[in-house]
Amino acid sequence: MFSNINLMQFVVTGIAMGFIYSLVATEYTLIYNATGLVNFAHESFIVLGAYLFGGTFVRAFGLPFWLAIVLTIVSMGIFGILVSTVVLNPLRNLQFITYAMFGTMMLSRILTEVARLAWGPIPFAVPGFLRSSVKFGSTFMPSSYIYIIAVSLLIVIGLQVFFKTTKMGKAMICVSQNKDAAALMGINVTRSINLTVAISAILCGIIGILATPLFNISTGMAASAALKGFCAGVIGGFGSYPGAIVGGILIGLLEQFGTLLFPTAYKDVVAFAVMILFLLVRPSGIIRAKKA
Amino acid sequence: MKKTVVALFGWILVLALVVLIFRFSNVYVQSIMNMLMYNIVLVLGLNFITGLTGQMNLGTVGMLALGAYAYGILTVTAGWNPWVALFAMFAVGFAVGRLLGYPSLRLKGFYLSLTTIGFSEIIRLLITNIEPLTGGTMGFSKVRRLSVWFYESQTKSDYFYILLAFVVIATVVANRIVNSKWGRSFKAVRDNSEAAEASGIDISKLKVMAFTLAAVYAAIGGAMYAGYNTYLNPSGFTLEYSQNYVAMLMIGGIGTVPGCIIGATIVTILPELLRGFADYYWIMFCTVCIVMAILVPDGLWPLIEKVFSRLRDFIQSHKSKVA
Repeated sequence: MFSNINLMQFVVTGIAMGFIYSLVATEYTLIYNATGLVNFAHESFIVLGAYLFGGTFVRAFGLPFWLAIVLTIVSMGIFGILVSTVVLNPLRNLQFITYAMFGTMMLSRILTEVARLAWGPIPFAVPGFLRSSVKFGSTFMPSSYIYIIAVSLLIVIGLQVFFKTTKMGKAMICVSQNKDAAALMGINVTRSINLTVAISAILCGIIGILATPLFNISTGMAASAALKGFCAGVIGGFGSYPGAIVGGILIGLLEQFGTLLFPTAYKDVVAFAVMILFLLVRPSGIIRAKKA
Repeated sequence: MKKTVVALFGWILVLALVVLIFRFSNVYVQSIMNMLMYNIVLVLGLNFITGLTGQMNLGTVGMLALGAYAYGILTVTAGWNPWVALFAMFAVGFAVGRLLGYPSLRLKGFYLSLTTIGFSEIIRLLITNIEPLTGGTMGFSKVRRLSVWFYESQTKSDYFYILLAFVVIATVVANRIVNSKWGRSFKAVRDNSEAAEASGIDISKLKVMAFTLAAVYAAIGGAMYAGYNTYLNPSGFTLEYSQNYVAMLMIGGIGTVPGCIIGATIVTILPELLRGFADYYWIMFCTVCIVMAILVPDGLWPLIEKVFSRLRDFIQSHKSKVA
């Protein structure tokens, strides 16, 4: 029955999509560890990054890809600091977590609306960006997949190095463990949080750039990826970075193989169903993260 | 005794005013008022779980969809009498409440909101894909309306009176619950669940009850929605609407019944009022929401109550000075 199905194709697609979910999970884990807030606005961050890259830097300014990428990263970094100062820092001091969740949800709407107004409601594509593909055997590997996997691995390793070796990185870890103690040690907690959100925003921008050849740029491009990113983080182990990777890849693979078993229409259900299963059976996730 | 008579008279006046406004509005405004009616019921339900008990529920439209489609399928495909179908909604709500309530015992805050999102999305995907039962993306039409023995609504707009009756009953019930032992227990769980447990409150039972209340209200709201629109389509049940209901609750006033009504009214009517700002009204609205979340997180009604109580104190102190 399965003889003429190219299993490698499923694996390749699954891993590539899985890494996107992992990046999303990493990004919101960063913000959660630093502020205790869940960033419901990350979908709009990703969309913003994609629009900045595709809409402004490439199409409007006509810049070469590498320059557009660099500028997008810088812009998203500045944007992250802005959002952290104006919205996230005030929100995290509120009494109930529901208020903060509501705030980030509204932020998401605002950013999406801004994107719609600034770049128009019509989806567009970025021509010539990572459109080629490599073929080995009967498996199609779009070059965007290769870049996704490579960039994701670089980011994961880079983040670990950053946390372990640099002063700012270690400060961020301290803040995530105990804000008061970190402040007592002389760490500027607010600045650390701003930096964390900035890095998170840059991550979202990179996700947006990577997702451009896959989804084309529109205001809804990141909707399902963002939600599945949440699921990935929970499945892998909420609050842990290796967990985010594991969870993401697991969802990516399960999704693809799920289409073998039931109609493709239910593909999106896989992520949620698996997450709910984990929440009921093993809430600390695969990696057994401490925070559950 | 006299106070309740005055209050009752006042409420009847308010109702009469609402009906008058309805009669003298054009069809477009009437459709908004109708929408407002089932929105109020939904927000009242959401209030039990998110406002009082403090568990973030983003699955409101999932429960609404279940109620609406269940009512639709029962009245059309199974041919039940609309009133019997309506009472069946209590059973639907009860079942959903149990379904969501038990997981909520083990999950807190963010995890619970994720689960409710997951629930809502799964429902939406199921509805979209089980075409023979629900009509899928083609929609489900010809849902039957409720008719009381002396009144049968001739037009879509006139269904308003039946919806209004629902809202009145729902509000009275909600008010009684919020101001009762249950309401205080819900609030205790939100403020400090460990202290509540130490005081002898059974947290599990309470959380499940809160979810069940929210689900029953949502199911009834679904019946209202289905009866009014007589046409159901999965596109009306996306996550965005769940966020809208949370916005209504947060803006109006968490945990208070008048707050729910105010919030529902504002969020339902404001987009229409702000149409003058064309493209920017949504951004303005959301910005106001964020500012309110930071400065007045409890919502408008508690703020109004605070202002009134300050005024009252001021007048009292003045009286005693003069005397």
